[in-house]
Amino acid sequence: MLLDINSYIGHWPFKQLKYNTCASRLETMNRFGVDLSVVSNLNGIFYKNTQSANVELYNELKSDIQFSSRFIPFAVINPIYAGWMDDLENCITKLGMKGVRVYPQYHDYSITDPGFIQLVKVCRDRGLPVTIDMRMVDSRQRSWMDIPVFDYNAPVKTDIIFREWNLQNIMPVIREVPDARFIIVNLANSIRLNIEDLALIRKADVVFDTSGRSLMGDDTLSELLKRFGSEKFAFGSHSPILDYLTGLLRIESMNGSEADDETKERLRSGNARRIIGI
Amino acid sequence: MNRRKFIAGTSLSTAGVILTNNLPGCSSVEQKGKVSYDIMKDVMKYRKIDAHCHPQDDLVKQLEIADRLGISKMQISNPVTNFSGTESEGPDQVRMHNDVVLNAMKKFPDRFIGFFTLNPNYRKESVEEINRCVDLGMAGYKGYTQVKVNDPLYYPIIEKLTDLKMLVFMHTFCQLGMAGYRMKYDIGRFPNTTLPEDMVEAARRYPEAMFHFAHIAGGGDWEYECKMLKECPNIYVDTGGSNNEENIIDFAIKHLGEDRIFFGTDDCYHHGVGKILASDATDAQKQKIFFDNYNNVLKKGGHNVA
Repeated sequence: MLLDINSYIGHWPFKQLKYNTCASRLETMNRFGVDLSVVSNLNGIFYKNTQSANVELYNELKSDIQFSSRFIPFAVINPIYAGWMDDLENCITKLGMKGVRVYPQYHDYSITDPGFIQLVKVCRDRGLPVTIDMRMVDSRQRSWMDIPVFDYNAPVKTDIIFREWNLQNIMPVIREVPDARFIIVNLANSIRLNIEDLALIRKADVVFDTSGRSLMGDDTLSELLKRFGSEKFAFGSHSPILDYLTGLLRIESMNGSEADDETKERLRSGNARRIIGI
Repeated sequence: MNRRKFIAGTSLSTAGVILTNNLPGCSSVEQKGKVSYDIMKDVMKYRKIDAHCHPQDDLVKQLEIADRLGISKMQISNPVTNFSGTESEGPDQVRMHNDVVLNAMKKFPDRFIGFFTLNPNYRKESVEEINRCVDLGMAGYKGYTQVKVNDPLYYPIIEKLTDLKMLVFMHTFCQLGMAGYRMKYDIGRFPNTTLPEDMVEAARRYPEAMFHFAHIAGGGDWEYECKMLKECPNIYVDTGGSNNEENIIDFAIKHLGEDRIFFGTDDCYHHGVGKILASDATDAQKQKIFFDNYNNVLKKGGHNVA
């Protein structure tokens, strides 16, 4: 079984996307032999009231009987916006959502914001994974309307504030709620940790997807399996922003000494099913 | 609760039961239309020349990754990047960088196609270095950010490379503050980086020359790049870089045509292959991008793969 733990429908306001509806995503899944996809609605990043995006996703999923057996919906929750606890409850009990996605950078709150910590604790108590993106798009080609990467108030404009996160930026919430479930996707920047944080990650219920550009060089997937453990990775595409196959190619191109059949099955779907609880 | 809220709540709850009871993967609904897909079989279906790589410290490891992905030949270059701002960019440094490529070619002559680099600010030494590198079997040129490709300093180099039927391959970029739009954003790039507009100007001045615009997936604005380069048939692009966005290949085919695109990785090997396989290109188009287009250009200078 092949399960994509990181995909979207919806729009990116600054660039036209392909395959960004459930119907077109399903066509892509069928073309490349993917059984199941975790899906959430990109529009939830840009709507102030993210629940509108969750309802949009729900309505699209119920428009075709095939969708409910192929997609695993995740809710977009903004824990500093009014009514988020009701929204989360509705998403779990009425809209069939199986996990949560959060966007601290786009929704403009810190990784240790009390509201966010509370959300993570609620998710922990309800058995839901919380998904955090290291980045959504490559900031080098960002639109001038996307989140800033420069300090425009600095005396010299070349004082660049590099706002893309790395794994260390995400660690504070894992330290705060170490018994929650986390899915960390699009590993696009440094995944180096100190000894204490590496030990924490290894102990915690964390899964990384295979979509991000940092899985190369000294950090190939086979090396990362040794460093973090084979239960820590799962196939993810980050599509339709990134291409559909690179994350899968990283898994399937490993030879038998790097990942045996059992390990590959965990990467294809086993680890994802475990953390989602299906 | 009013009637409207009651109805809305009821319909959501009912549908929610359907969703939650119909657990993904456990449904009686057939996975209609899903085909079996063997990605490694698809990878190996196409011959490949990587048109944009650099020699790694561990060449054996580099080739081992290439083998897994069916990359039979790799074009390598070693430009003086001076990321630190403290590196010399003089002729001795250029020569030393080219020697790294020559050593890799000597070790693995069947796998590496070497390209030399220059600093066009040193005119006499550049001509001497071209002659040295060509005599030693190098097949083309890779320029970096010392001088823009449309600078008059480049004219004699472009003319020499055209005589040799070799590519003028340039590191390029295009983002906010670069390439003609939103120039108020100073993003601290090297000021002499070649932009799409610069290459267009050079390509129009020398329509008989062959230009190679590097890594459209290297983090630049690939939509801008493809649109800007569209009208210059003597500019080719490679697909290298770490930003493997979904639509890059299809957009490039639409705007540049299927004959002006080279498969390249810029050492991002999985991204490089994955994004082409995942595109909507036909098998024939993929074969052109992975191999034929670059080989046809190399053939003009007698450096093609048999």
